[in-house]
Amino acid sequence: MRKSVFASVVSGTVALATCASVPLTSAVAHEEHQMECNETAINAMNADIQSMDDGDAKTTAAKEMQMAEDMMTNKDMKGCEAHMHNAMEAMEK
Amino acid sequence: MSGAASRSKRGWILTALGVVAALVAACALAIYAGVYNFAADIPHTQPVYWLLETARERSIAVRAADVVVPDDLGDPKRIASGAGQYAEMCSFCHLAPGMKRTEISRGLYPRAPELRRGGDLTPAEEFWVVKHGVKMTGMPAWGVTHSDEILWDVVAFLRKLPELTPDEYQALVKSAPKTHDEMMQEMESRPMDHEGH
Repeated sequence: MRKSVFASVVSGTVALATCASVPLTSAVAHEEHQMECNETAINAMNADIQSMDDGDAKTTAAKEMQMAEDMMTNKDMKGCEAHMHNAMEAMEK
Repeated sequence: MSGAASRSKRGWILTALGVVAALVAACALAIYAGVYNFAADIPHTQPVYWLLETARERSIAVRAADVVVPDDLGDPKRIASGAGQYAEMCSFCHLAPGMKRTEISRGLYPRAPELRRGGDLTPAEEFWVVKHGVKMTGMPAWGVTHSDEILWDVVAFLRKLPELTPDEYQALVKSAPKTHDEMMQEMESRPMDHEGH
């Protein structure tokens, strides 16, 4: 009896630890590019924007990315996703 | 000069030298400690980016000033030849009409400019960049392995590239008189023409 309770506790703990290790920041930002709302993807897009010629597209994209970063800081992944998508749309104009 | 004024002046000089020495020491320490992150997946800060971009643009402009541009860059044969070279040598990084971003184009830093969108460089500056490359970027010096004639063909194509649709681009590439390998074999059979710029 004690062994089965112990086994249940251990396996439950392992299961919980496994679930907890799944990245909480995953959110697909752009269906074509399958980018996630995380620091690496945001840095990559900021590098893309940095290399753009000055103009409305660059300004819009930069603003959207700033908002995406703010959303990520506030753990609003859907919001982050939406702004990253808007930034990509602006970059492709 | 009176003794007091002289001592005061010496004091200022020593102070200035001390400040300079401290700054140099601080910079050396920062470099040795690896403070600045050179990862290609983390962009430069904006001031550093501006500094590097400006230095690069000015360097290219100054050195390209003496480049003599051929007057036949509009020749369809040059453009077709350049299209073939571009497809083989350039498109993986700089992309082409209708082309999705490649893995290398997404990972390079600084980003290789998407030349299908046009740019600010003059023909002379484009030639200089293609020939000499750019330090600390992924842009190779194609002049090490290619003649000026081939590089001018590429420049001729670059002037045309922003106007092309994906279908026009593909048609132009197919119309290239020689493949890249054929052009290299022909070039290797005769001395390279480099006009000293």
